[in-house]
Amino acid sequence: MKIGQALKMALKSLSTKKGRSFLTMLGIIIGIAAVIALVTYAQGQNLAMKALYDSQGSNVLEVYAYSYSFNGEDDVGQRLYDYCLGLEDVVGVTPSGYLNSEPTITYGAKSLTRQRNYISMAGAAVISESVSGNDDDHYPNIQLGNDKFGLCNNYQIAKGRELSYLEVENMAQVCVLGSDTAEYLFSLADPIDKTININGMPFRVVGVYQSKSAGVNVGTDEENQWVVDSIKYQDKLVLLPSTMTRYFNGNQPIDQYLVKVKTKSAVNDVVTKLNGYLSGIVNTNSGWFNVSNPNEYSAELDKEDAMQAVFLGIIAAISLLVAGIGIMNIMLVTVTERTREIGIRKAIGAERRSIIVQFLIEAAMICSIGGLLGIAVGYVAAAVLTKVFFGLVIMPDVGITILAFGISVALGILFGLYPALKASALQPVEALRAD
Amino acid sequence: MLIDIRDVYKIYNEGMESEVRALDGVDLQVQRGEFVSIIGQSGSGKSTLMNILGCLDIPTYGDYTLDGTNVTELSDRQLARIRNREIGFIFQGYNLIPELDAQENVELPLIYQGIGPEKRHRQAQEALERVNMYDRRHHRPSEMSGGQQQRVAIARAIATHPAIIMADEPTGALDSRTGRHVLEILHSLHQDGSTVILITHDNSIAATAARIVRLSDGKVVADGAREEVMA
Repeated sequence: MKIGQALKMALKSLSTKKGRSFLTMLGIIIGIAAVIALVTYAQGQNLAMKALYDSQGSNVLEVYAYSYSFNGEDDVGQRLYDYCLGLEDVVGVTPSGYLNSEPTITYGAKSLTRQRNYISMAGAAVISESVSGNDDDHYPNIQLGNDKFGLCNNYQIAKGRELSYLEVENMAQVCVLGSDTAEYLFSLADPIDKTININGMPFRVVGVYQSKSAGVNVGTDEENQWVVDSIKYQDKLVLLPSTMTRYFNGNQPIDQYLVKVKTKSAVNDVVTKLNGYLSGIVNTNSGWFNVSNPNEYSAELDKEDAMQAVFLGIIAAISLLVAGIGIMNIMLVTVTERTREIGIRKAIGAERRSIIVQFLIEAAMICSIGGLLGIAVGYVAAAVLTKVFFGLVIMPDVGITILAFGISVALGILFGLYPALKASALQPVEALRAD
Repeated sequence: MLIDIRDVYKIYNEGMESEVRALDGVDLQVQRGEFVSIIGQSGSGKSTLMNILGCLDIPTYGDYTLDGTNVTELSDRQLARIRNREIGFIFQGYNLIPELDAQENVELPLIYQGIGPEKRHRQAQEALERVNMYDRRHHRPSEMSGGQQQRVAIARAIATHPAIIMADEPTGALDSRTGRHVLEILHSLHQDGSTVILITHDNSIAATAARIVRLSDGKVVADGAREEVMA
């Protein structure tokens, strides 16, 4: 018997029992659709997270360095800054400092303050941060940086300009605002060249950054919500020249720097050089330093993705196993039900092989039709899921699709084999007697 | 000699208390072109004998030579080939496949022979014409009367041009007029040169054959011309 003929026969047999064939397929359809949709959702999530990390500025090293033996003009930061400017792979370096106090920012009638309240709970001191201002969602995120602060933190200028090198050098009373701060203080008015007061000290607004949080979406995963929160926090920026630390922080040097490296491949090299340089100038008895390597973090992220893929794979494997057992069950019932037919076929000359092929093809056909339907459902589900959660339609990977289809056909053959062998082993006399 | 079985036994549960000897030392020789009736009461072993003659079953003991081949030594696959090419079965219950129409049922043994669709359709339609069922070739078994179904079954049996046609109570489920018509077809096949073995419990049907073999308790108790056996 030829394969083409066997295919026709199987199709005929399935089409005469459409209802049951469909119910048998249902397991496969759901299994395959779930695999495709889940894997695509996970890919979308990873993509969104990656995009998010990149939006924070890729290839940026965080450097902490502090030494008690330095002070005033001759701090470790200045030396680090000068050293970085000499490195070919470094495109920018900025101090990244905060204020020790929580000043009030005012513009006209509007004010912004961030306050730390100390609440005593059951004898233990708990620090909770509360915000005062007109709105709970508005509070300032005051940072100290230089003309490369925007570059290193991946801020884009929306209006005006960055701080200039000279403004930083000269402790100019200027500032650049994050989008949220600018919107809160100025509403629809143009903030450029307006003057805000910080603890009564006037600062002229020279620029406003674009919003970072607009359009950011990381899906439903609660674990990723902090990322969104941290991005929103960045839009509350009030950037002052780093030299202002002398005024606000009592001349305490800034101990954190951001170093932006040209390419990912150069990151490890720069980390090594910085570590070498800092170990030369920071005496670890009277100070400390640390250089973070973003490559290590992204490797960690990749590892998490791989683990997630394995986890999804296990779930998919279990659901497909269940579907496969369902198919085997139905095929076994079919064999019993069709014992007489098998007897007739054998009596008129069907070989064992023909019977095996017939039942295997039927099982494989159920699974491949189910697989195709599952792929269709999976594509739709994936498109809807990624559109809803990430705001963009991510199409399932072709490799995953082919793999899913291959798995469903393999399932049909694997779980169809036992019933097929059982059917073929029937003695024609015995089979004909059945009814 | 087309069929030659010698000292054939079919024993169920051998050696146990429930032992049944369905065939108990049967000898039977059939020449090419004969029309033989095998007659016996229910339980006489005639169906068991037909199953063995038709290679649906193998004897517990004894030899079966079909057209010079010792069938008892053949593999499953070779037996399937013999059933497919050398034997045409007609059963009491027709045994058509309900999901297939008349022509598809008739084509089934040709499919297992690996014959291509064009030649297959032609051979099947010829066979259906032979039993006067060509017009109903696209009807399913459920859309046909018993007599029509049996004619389709005959068409299926003759479509491969087998050496032997085996009919097991072919008229058993039919009224007498339709039964006679089926018998006429068998006789006309015989006249065209087929070897026909007809199994029945009905003396009047058996008597349409020139040669009659009577079975009782798994043994051949009479074998000869109609006049001798029926006397």
